[in-house]
Amino acid sequence: MGHLSGERLYEIFARQKREDRLEHIGTVSAPNPELARVYAWKTYDEATWFEMVVAPRDAFRSVNRDEVPFTLHPAETV
Amino acid sequence: MSSVRTDSFKSADQLSEPVREALAATLLSLADNKRILGMRYGEWILGAPTLESGIACSAMAQDEWGHGRILYATLKDFGLDAGVLEHERPSEEYLSSELLDSTIEEWPDLRALNLLFDAALSVQVEALSNSSYEPIHFKTRKLLEEERFHFEHGRGWALRLSETAAGREALEAAFRNAMGPSLRWFGRSEAGFGQLLEAAGVSAGDPDFLRQAWLDRVIPVLAEAGLEELAAEFEARSEIDWSGWNADRRRGGSGGSGGPDAETLARIRGDKNRSMLMD
Repeated sequence: MGHLSGERLYEIFARQKREDRLEHIGTVSAPNPELARVYAWKTYDEATWFEMVVAPRDAFRSVNRDEVPFTLHPAETV
Repeated sequence: MSSVRTDSFKSADQLSEPVREALAATLLSLADNKRILGMRYGEWILGAPTLESGIACSAMAQDEWGHGRILYATLKDFGLDAGVLEHERPSEEYLSSELLDSTIEEWPDLRALNLLFDAALSVQVEALSNSSYEPIHFKTRKLLEEERFHFEHGRGWALRLSETAAGREALEAAFRNAMGPSLRWFGRSEAGFGQLLEAAGVSAGDPDFLRQAWLDRVIPVLAEAGLEELAAEFEARSEIDWSGWNADRRRGGSGGSGGPDAETLARIRGDKNRSMLMD
């Protein structure tokens, strides 16, 4: 996924009920954490979320692979 | 600020006539401003700098139209016909800000509406959230929850644009332009609609109190964005010009006697395809 200069990709995790686990639900591109929060909340509004969190993709560290986290299968890359 | 409420009102007919009129005008002003603000956000669904900000504009447009619809419906309790309010008034009867009269051509000007004027409306709504006029209570909750994200969007974009000298300059010009009408919108310090509402416990503060609450909200963002000089001007309220002030419509300056332009009016009223609306 390409993004504008000055922007970072943020990964979004959410759960609908307290007893649910957080699940990865999507990604937004944003220039700062403030806008990442708004974009995440307004873009992924298909459910009434109990909790939604965002983190910059580059904050994630791969545990078992050499490639950067969240790398898609080549066929899925847009 | 009245911290203890002695009376509460279950319906508008329990309010004294001057308070009833002042509250109806305040609710109508909020409804009209939100209806048109929603249209202004909506005009940027396509054309916003990024896909994400276009989606945010779309969501904020929906929020504002929803808030407008709820507020117009609230006015039924005041003997007003929501259908007439939404579809049949001429421009000069709209209680909307001069900032909203015509299409917003530049992104920084939309940022000013988002961070400054939208927040002014929210401060007024918040002041009604513990109102002695009880029917408004539960209607303010969802509205204010949604508005938190509008403010955060305004803040996020202020920080973003202020990263470059050119962006900061554009932002400063747009904010300065919106400052006067936003400061003025709360009303004059002397006796008027705001003081009546405060005295009856309908609104949590008089115009000066609400103006200060708004300043307390927006000034830290201006400072965060490196616009300290502008923040000082806001604090000094140096841009309040009461010439042309129309207290009933809460607008002033050269726009005091104006109103939404013809295209805006036709679209917010839904004129073009009204014939499609069949009973």
